[in-house]
Amino acid sequence: MSRELLRVAGLSCRFGGLTAVDGLDLTLRAGDLAGLIGPNGAGKTTVFNLLTGRVPATAGAVSFQGQAVLGLKSHQINRLGIGRTFQNIRLFGELSVLDNVLVGFHGRLQASFLSAIFRLSAYRREERRTLARAEELLELVGLQDLAGEAAGNLAYGQQRLLEIARALATEPSLLLLDEPAAGMNPQETASLAGLVRRLRDDLGLTVLLIEHDMRFVMSLCEHITVLDYGKVIAWGTPEEVQGDPAVIQAYLGAGLDQARGEAGHA
Amino acid sequence: MSLRGIFSPGPLPPAHLTRRRDFWLSIMGIMLLAGVLMGVERLAGGYWVHMTCLAAIYLVLAASYNLVNGVTGQFSLAPNAFVACGAYVTSLLTLTPAEKALSFILEPLVWPLSVIHLPLGLALIIAGLVTAVMAFGMGFTVFRVRGDYLAIVTLGLGEVIRVVANNAQSVTNGPLGLKGITYLTHNLWWTWGLAVAALFVLTRLAKSSYGLALKAIREDEGAAESMGINVFWHKMLAFTTDAFLEGMAGGLLAHLITTISPSLFTFFLTFNLLIIIVVGGLGSMTGAACAALLITFGGEWLRVVEEPMNILGLSIPGIPGMRMVIFSLLLMACMLFMRRGLMGKSEFSWRWLLACLSRRRGRP
Repeated sequence: MSRELLRVAGLSCRFGGLTAVDGLDLTLRAGDLAGLIGPNGAGKTTVFNLLTGRVPATAGAVSFQGQAVLGLKSHQINRLGIGRTFQNIRLFGELSVLDNVLVGFHGRLQASFLSAIFRLSAYRREERRTLARAEELLELVGLQDLAGEAAGNLAYGQQRLLEIARALATEPSLLLLDEPAAGMNPQETASLAGLVRRLRDDLGLTVLLIEHDMRFVMSLCEHITVLDYGKVIAWGTPEEVQGDPAVIQAYLGAGLDQARGEAGHA
Repeated sequence: MSLRGIFSPGPLPPAHLTRRRDFWLSIMGIMLLAGVLMGVERLAGGYWVHMTCLAAIYLVLAASYNLVNGVTGQFSLAPNAFVACGAYVTSLLTLTPAEKALSFILEPLVWPLSVIHLPLGLALIIAGLVTAVMAFGMGFTVFRVRGDYLAIVTLGLGEVIRVVANNAQSVTNGPLGLKGITYLTHNLWWTWGLAVAALFVLTRLAKSSYGLALKAIREDEGAAESMGINVFWHKMLAFTTDAFLEGMAGGLLAHLITTISPSLFTFFLTFNLLIIIVVGGLGSMTGAACAALLITFGGEWLRVVEEPMNILGLSIPGIPGMRMVIFSLLLMACMLFMRRGLMGKSEFSWRWLLACLSRRRGRP
C-alpha cells in the first residue's frame, strides 16, 4: 500500500446561503489517478479552489503530505507541491508558449533579483537549467514547435496542453486537472489520456481530475468520487460508480420506475 | 513594402546566439551617445543642454514608471510623490548649511538636516533609498486593492506627499520651496549616466525571470499566484525599484531647475509620464524611452507653430498655446492609429534592427 498524500476531512464551503461543498471527505494515495465527477454545479471546481487556497473554506481540514493546507495562500500551497490547471483557460495570453512554462519555474527560483539583473553565474546556471526543463516539458505535451508563439494564438486543445505543461513546471507531486479534455476532439482526447497516464507512470505524479467526458474518465481513472449538490454521493472504481443508483439518479433525474410510481400515486 | 512590413521582419534569431555581438553593439551605441553628448556640451547653447538633460530625466521617470504600469499592469498614479521625495531629500542634503539658513526664513530647518552637507552622488543614492523605503511603506496599503481602486489610492498618496511638502515648514520650507540648488557643470553626464544605468537595470529586470513573473501578474494575477508566484512581494519589488530610480531622477531634476516647491509635483507630472508611457507602448522599456525623448523635444519643436507666420502672402499672428492644441491632436491621432503605442509590448533589440536592415537590402 502506498503512502497517503492528501487527506480531506469534512471540507465545507458556503457562499451566503448556498452550500457549494458540504462535508467532503477524500483521500488520495501517492500514485493515484483519481476522478472527481458530478452534474453541473455540483461543486467540483470549488473543491479545486478550496484545495489551492483560492476560496476560503468554511469548515473542515485538508492535509497534504502531513501538512495543513487550509489557511495558506495559493502560492504557498503551490510550493508545497499542488499544481493545477483551470477550467476556463487562464494562460498568460500575451506571453509566448515557452515563457508561460518558464513562469511556472519562477516560484522555485533561488537566485535573487539583483543577481538576475546583473546576470551573475548563479542566475545564469538556473536560467540554463530551467530553459532546458521547459523545453522538455513542451516536448512532453507536444508543443515544442510552437514555443515562440503567443499563448493566446494557440488552438483550444493546445491551450489546455500548455496549461498542463505550465502546471508541471511548478514541479508538483499532486496535479489537479480541471476539465482537461473540454473542447478537444476525440483524437486529442485519446492522446491526452495517454499523456495523463504517462504523467502518473513515468513522472510518478498523483492526478486528480474533473471531467465531463465519461468515456475519458471511466477508461482513465482508477478511483472516482461523485459529487452532487456539494455532497459525495458515491465513490469507488469506475464499475462500482457506474452501477450506483444514486449516481444514475443524480445524472438522469428520477429513475423510470420511480417516475411511474409517482405518476401512479397521483 | 508597407511601413508595417519594414518594422516587423518576421522571426528573429535566438538571443543567446548573438549575445556577444549585441553586447559590442550596445557598447558602440553608448559610445555614440557619449559622442553626441560631448557635441551638445561643446557646441550647443545652454538651452539645448537643458533640454537634453530634461529628456534624460523624463526617460528615467517614464521607463521606471513603466515597470509598475506597463510591465506589472498596476495602474499606479504615485510617481509625483516619488519625484517630490527624491528632489527634496537630495536638495536638503546637497545645499550647504549657510544656504539652508538663508532659505528657511519662517521656521528654521530641523537639526540634523540643517548641518548636513553631502556630495551629490551620495545624496542621490540616499534619496533613492529614502524614496524606496517610502514606497515600501506605501505598498502595504496600495496593494491591498487592485485596478481602479489602486489608481485612486495612489492618486491620494501622491496628493498627501504634496500637501505634506506644503505644510512641513521646518523640513521642506513649505510653499516657499528650496532655492539656490547648485546647477551642475556636468549635468549632461549625470542625467544621461543615470538614464543609461536605469535603462540597463530595467530592461535586464524585465527580461529576467522576475520580469516574466511581473508580466504574468499583468496577464492573470490569479493564475500567477496558482503558479507559485508571491504576487504581493513581486508588486512590491516593481514598486520599490520604480521609486528608487524615480527618487534619484527627482534629485537630478532639482539640480537642473535649481528651485523646487510643492507646486512642481502635482498630478500633472504624473499625467505627463502617463502620456509618455502610453505613447511609447505600455510594457515596453525602450518604447517609454523613445516616447520620453519624442515628447520632451517634440514639445519644443512645436513652438514653431506659435510664431507669426507668413504663408502665401497671408500673415498669421503667433497664437500662444497653439502648440498644445496641435500636441493634443497628435496624441489623439496616435491613439487612433497606434492603439498599442510606438512599440506595443515589444522591446528594441539589435537582432530586430539588423533583421529590418537586411530585409530592406533585399536579403532574406
